[in-house]
Amino acid sequence: MMMLNYRQDFEGIVWLRLDQPDSRVNTLSSAMLVQLENALEQIGELPNLRGLVIESAKKSGFIAGADIKEFDQFQDAEVLRVALTRAHALMDRLASFEVPTVACIHGFCLGGGLELALACRHRVATADAKLGFPEVKLGLFPGFGGTGRCIERSGALAGMTAMLTGKTYKAYQARRLGWVDRVLNSPDRLRWAARKLILAARPQTKPGLSHRLMQWQPVRKVLAKKMRQQTLKKALPEHYPAPFALIELFEREGACSRSMRQGEIERFPALMLSRTSQSLRRIFLAAESRKVRQPDFKPRRVHIIGAGVMGGDIAAWAAFSGYEVTLQDLSAEAIEPALERAKSLFKKRLRTQPAINNALGRIRADVQGQGIALADVIIEAVVERLEVKSSLFQSLEQTAKPTAILATNTSSIPLEDIAQNMQDPTRLVGIHFFNPVAMLPLVEVVQGKQTAFHWITGAQAWVTSIRKTPLVVKSSPGFLVNRVLASYMMNALDILESGTSADQIDAAAVSAGMPMGPIELMDSVGLDICLAVAEQLALTQRTDTLLHQKVQSGQLGRKSNQGFYTWPLKRSLPQGDAALGRRLLGIICDTTLTCVEEGIVDNAEAADIGIIMGTGFAPFLGGPIRARELGAL
Amino acid sequence: MQGREVFLLGSNRIGFCRAYTGYADQTNLQLLSAALNGLVDRYGLQGVQIDEVTAGAVVVHSSDWNLAREAVLNTQLAPQSVGTTLQMACGTSLQGALLLAGKIASGQIDCAIAAGTDSISDAPLSTSRKLASRLVKAQRAKTLGAKLAAFKGLSLRELAPLPPSTHEPRTGLSMGQHCELMAQQWGIRREDQDQWAIESHHKAHAAYQRGFYDDLVSGHNGVLRDTHIRADANLEGMAALKPAFDRANGTLSAGNSTPLTDGASSVLLGTREWAMAHGLPILARIQAGRTAANHFTAGDGLLMAPTQAVADLLKQTHLSLQDFDLYEIHEAFAAQVLCTLKAWEDDEFCHGLGATEALGPIDRDKINPVGSSLALGHPFAATGARVLGVAGHWLDQQAAKRALISVCTAGGMGVAAILER
Repeated sequence: MMMLNYRQDFEGIVWLRLDQPDSRVNTLSSAMLVQLENALEQIGELPNLRGLVIESAKKSGFIAGADIKEFDQFQDAEVLRVALTRAHALMDRLASFEVPTVACIHGFCLGGGLELALACRHRVATADAKLGFPEVKLGLFPGFGGTGRCIERSGALAGMTAMLTGKTYKAYQARRLGWVDRVLNSPDRLRWAARKLILAARPQTKPGLSHRLMQWQPVRKVLAKKMRQQTLKKALPEHYPAPFALIELFEREGACSRSMRQGEIERFPALMLSRTSQSLRRIFLAAESRKVRQPDFKPRRVHIIGAGVMGGDIAAWAAFSGYEVTLQDLSAEAIEPALERAKSLFKKRLRTQPAINNALGRIRADVQGQGIALADVIIEAVVERLEVKSSLFQSLEQTAKPTAILATNTSSIPLEDIAQNMQDPTRLVGIHFFNPVAMLPLVEVVQGKQTAFHWITGAQAWVTSIRKTPLVVKSSPGFLVNRVLASYMMNALDILESGTSADQIDAAAVSAGMPMGPIELMDSVGLDICLAVAEQLALTQRTDTLLHQKVQSGQLGRKSNQGFYTWPLKRSLPQGDAALGRRLLGIICDTTLTCVEEGIVDNAEAADIGIIMGTGFAPFLGGPIRARELGAL
Repeated sequence: MQGREVFLLGSNRIGFCRAYTGYADQTNLQLLSAALNGLVDRYGLQGVQIDEVTAGAVVVHSSDWNLAREAVLNTQLAPQSVGTTLQMACGTSLQGALLLAGKIASGQIDCAIAAGTDSISDAPLSTSRKLASRLVKAQRAKTLGAKLAAFKGLSLRELAPLPPSTHEPRTGLSMGQHCELMAQQWGIRREDQDQWAIESHHKAHAAYQRGFYDDLVSGHNGVLRDTHIRADANLEGMAALKPAFDRANGTLSAGNSTPLTDGASSVLLGTREWAMAHGLPILARIQAGRTAANHFTAGDGLLMAPTQAVADLLKQTHLSLQDFDLYEIHEAFAAQVLCTLKAWEDDEFCHGLGATEALGPIDRDKINPVGSSLALGHPFAATGARVLGVAGHWLDQQAAKRALISVCTAGGMGVAAILER
């Protein structure tokens, strides 16, 4: 199948268009690379060649990156090294064209796509283009010569930062990084800007003095040390080797682009074959496959009932995501704090006017519930009492549009009970958010026994549209994430009661790869809430645990400045005990397995994503079930 | 209208915002492109070639000399669609629609889009004429001495940038000052103006509450609806506002006048055959249209020309002023609407319009039932297409028969049209 086509115009310029068949995006798959090789060979021999322009026929963007699905085919380091060498030769061929080469970039230009673009002499981009090196998020670094070329264009500091953080940059920011020569406000203008650059036939700009200075060996050493310190704050080398390998590559081989690219080929295979990268790739693909896109499903208004912490934050997030939101509670005073929190979210995330004010304009207090009749999605987040919720949905059913999704954010009441008085109980679905809503990427879409498939799909599509990952779970106490977290915390409580210190427990969990220790987590969640959840899940039969005592004495954790710890917490955790760490995380594996056996989630993969995204469980292990399969826990 | 029947097939606009708010970072071209793209999305016009698109703005940069065509190229319409930029103050997009309707009726074209946009936030600043001529002189001069000589005698005053002015060039009065004169001439009381404005807000709010505007407004730049509407508008609040144009004796306030507004809107027109070929339902037939101008420099009310346009239309169509189910009368000021209504009930004035007697009163419930410019805002060139869109949608929803539309403009002009189902 043809992945690309090209034609030479009467001025001698060749227009090479990438158009991967049956795909929304272009990727640098092995088939694409082979065809690019051939095309470049042929183009290089064309008579009267004046320049080469590479553009994409896809609406979504230039090139989304390498084809991640192909990565697992590489099981042998030597085979991979050969493949990499070939890809490097392709990029070098492009970079060595005697005539000017230009990449025309719109939409996404990521990973391998950016490496290809950087191998061109010039790049022009539309203002909405998004460029970046996300490899590090998959346990890798750029592998098609991008490390050297990135540093050559951006300088070591900015270039390494881009590759170490995996951040995506807008076109104007990319111009400052030296990735883009010109930013244009209309896609029509790309080809004319490219033509102009080709006719001007200027040589590639050489890196300036400051760039070269940063590549000087003594300076490299200092920079590398600083980068290591920064990276250590975010990740441990034994868990996430890629960023540290990249820093090492820069420190040793960063003197020039060529040596860095050579070093890239040597170091890349080990990362690609590492368990960390395999796990991260699997999670990425699995999370992508959870997303549900329905082109004809275009909700516009969301109505949230209950302006408490959860309801208010869901409303703010929905408005932030572009929906028109009405937020209902008993009085305007009850809604006011939620609107204040929404305002600070918008200020933090949107930063500039009029975006902030326009977002504020999308969320309105609605004491009378006027928004119900027009809403496409209605979510209830009122007090956890069955009779309140049950009668609420009975009345919602009367006033809402027949097409509106009716959802509850309950975490403890069975959906079947809430739906029992509804005329059409199949309509009720759970959309269960986690606190803090803005931070946690996972949302559980809860399927009661009575819920019809149609409404599940609708809820998944809506959750996807607010940039969260939906995970379908069966209605059962604690669903997946809370149930696993509760047993994790109660288990830690047992260990605490048996005499191990809180610091030791937290240190062991963090060393094993959890973002936060279980004791600190309990304090953060609030001990009263932990106790309520534990009792609801019948995880504790006793009434005299340490947790009970703390709650009775009013020590509720972070919110009361005193729980198991005194807050604000100032400490540096020691290296944790590995055996204890395995024990702490082992309980997560056990509970997750039970959930899969009970059919609360579809399969092990779904459970793994849910636990990683919902609890922050060590992503490099690939999820609790994967970790158990691999014998890590 | 003679010739082939011309139909209003649909409309789309973006939410209107007060100047310097929701679209503070947007240009006229962006607003217009968004309104047109919304129209394309709403009616599935991706890749469709529209025979003619007219669009314009009142407040424009000199770089917007091909505004309509540039906007068309920003949309998913076929790039072969022609764009004509035109301007007739606040009547721009209604006049555009009528010109295009004439072309369709005469068989020149089969489909068309009329659109308008305005942005006060994106208002151009220009240099004084003196400074401009110095700059040109300096640019053309060959020697340094000659270049410097061009700036001899430069005064600070010349350096001040000139903001665009909406004052009437011939009278030096602002639109508000003119309307203040009209209100005095016709004896329009402040309370009646305030009441009219409040009702406009309440009707617009109620229309939003029942989803009326969902079929007319698309989102842009994070704005999903008109942002000027005040559900809680009330007489006390209105009465507290100071007169805006005549501090001492004025009756016009910021509350009963339209705010400076950013926004854009568009309507889709075509023959029955074209609509059927593209699977589009028909909203209403454009039955007649008429423009008129008065002698405002000699004392006619600046915004009273629609009275003439409507009188002419009625004569032409043999209808009476009471033969309509809907009256969409653009509200530049509450006072201007009230003057117009009063004038139509005045025998002597109507004689002046060429009628034998007063055109008579109108059932007030039939006027602007879903709110108008006082509540929604008034991006000058966009208003005509907004009003057409509202009238077509309302007739369609209510299964009503006939609507009268009128828009007053600067320079003592008015545009009126009749829609029928």
